[in-house]
Amino acid sequence: MTSETGTKRIVESIPAAVLHGAISALGVSHVLIVPDTHQKTLLASLTQDANLQMLTFSTEDEAICVNAGMWIGGAESVVIIQNVGLFAAMNALRGVAIDMKVPTLLIVGQFGRDVSKTVEENAPTGVRLIEPVLDAMGVPHYRLDFSEDVGVLRTAYDRSRAERGPVVVLIGAPTS
Amino acid sequence: MRRGEALEVLAALKGDGISVGTMRAIADWYELGAAPELNLDNRGCMGAASALGLGIALAQPQRRVIVIDGDGSLMMQLGSLTSIAGSGAANFYHFVVVNGVYETSGFQPIPAAGLADFAAMARGAGYQQAYEFSDIAILRERLPGIFNQPGPAMIALKVELDEVRKEVPADRPKDQAGYLRSQLVGS
Repeated sequence: MTSETGTKRIVESIPAAVLHGAISALGVSHVLIVPDTHQKTLLASLTQDANLQMLTFSTEDEAICVNAGMWIGGAESVVIIQNVGLFAAMNALRGVAIDMKVPTLLIVGQFGRDVSKTVEENAPTGVRLIEPVLDAMGVPHYRLDFSEDVGVLRTAYDRSRAERGPVVVLIGAPTS
Repeated sequence: MRRGEALEVLAALKGDGISVGTMRAIADWYELGAAPELNLDNRGCMGAASALGLGIALAQPQRRVIVIDGDGSLMMQLGSLTSIAGSGAANFYHFVVVNGVYETSGFQPIPAAGLADFAAMARGAGYQQAYEFSDIAILRERLPGIFNQPGPAMIALKVELDEVRKEVPADRPKDQAGYLRSQLVGS
């Protein structure tokens, strides 16, 4: 991705409205969250949406498990958390989303990222290690670094349903 | 009160409710004939039963959801008490088998065994109802009335240690989540 000045763009802040619109278009009824500083403008926007029920949980494990229960019961939801929360929820990701074969879309903020650097150049392990860990677990993941790529949310959601498992979308920069 | 006889009282009232069991109580539940229909076993993620049950309860508000938790298991996702209370799920009935030990791994005592009060924790978290029973006759008398009142409800079952190890049937549905979903929504 190259800017008008010819420099390579690493990542941009995606407006909350862009992400909100893409999430609404998925047709889910519930958004399950553990608050994420990185995506706070998105969370604020979703909270105002009368067509979506927002539920806040104590831990990311719970959010993944509630998503599973809702799918079993016939309701569709997405999970919004941050990278360090996904590390905290590895057992639910494994034991519930993977082993129980539950469609699970996780929208994960790369909290703590230095946006002037690539993910690989970032010092914080919470940023740099999340993709290798997901690879080790066999969990598909996508980067969402630019507004024009917001369609990846639909791609990831459909893949989670088709493959009956977790799929992660990593939000590269704090939302605006 | 023994776990098996307490769960027998519960099984008799299951009806068309949905159950989510965990750890050692699963074998009793099958032996009582309360599974595998309209049932989910949580064996692979200790502590997850309450949140799995909450999700089902929110998606199926017309059905009663019965979670059969363990004391050591619940402590692994104790924060779920506030999530459940905050959800206001009126169809959520949370049974916790309190025997004070991690039974599966060799009867090691749980932290604060004999001190922790799970009914009090649930009440403090905001559950609509919370009880503790250690007498089978009283449980048998009171449980129908509890089911007639809206949840979220916590029913702590203080039971004696049971060293008889029962096995979970091998012929359970291979894809339990998918099977239960098909029973509830048809696909």
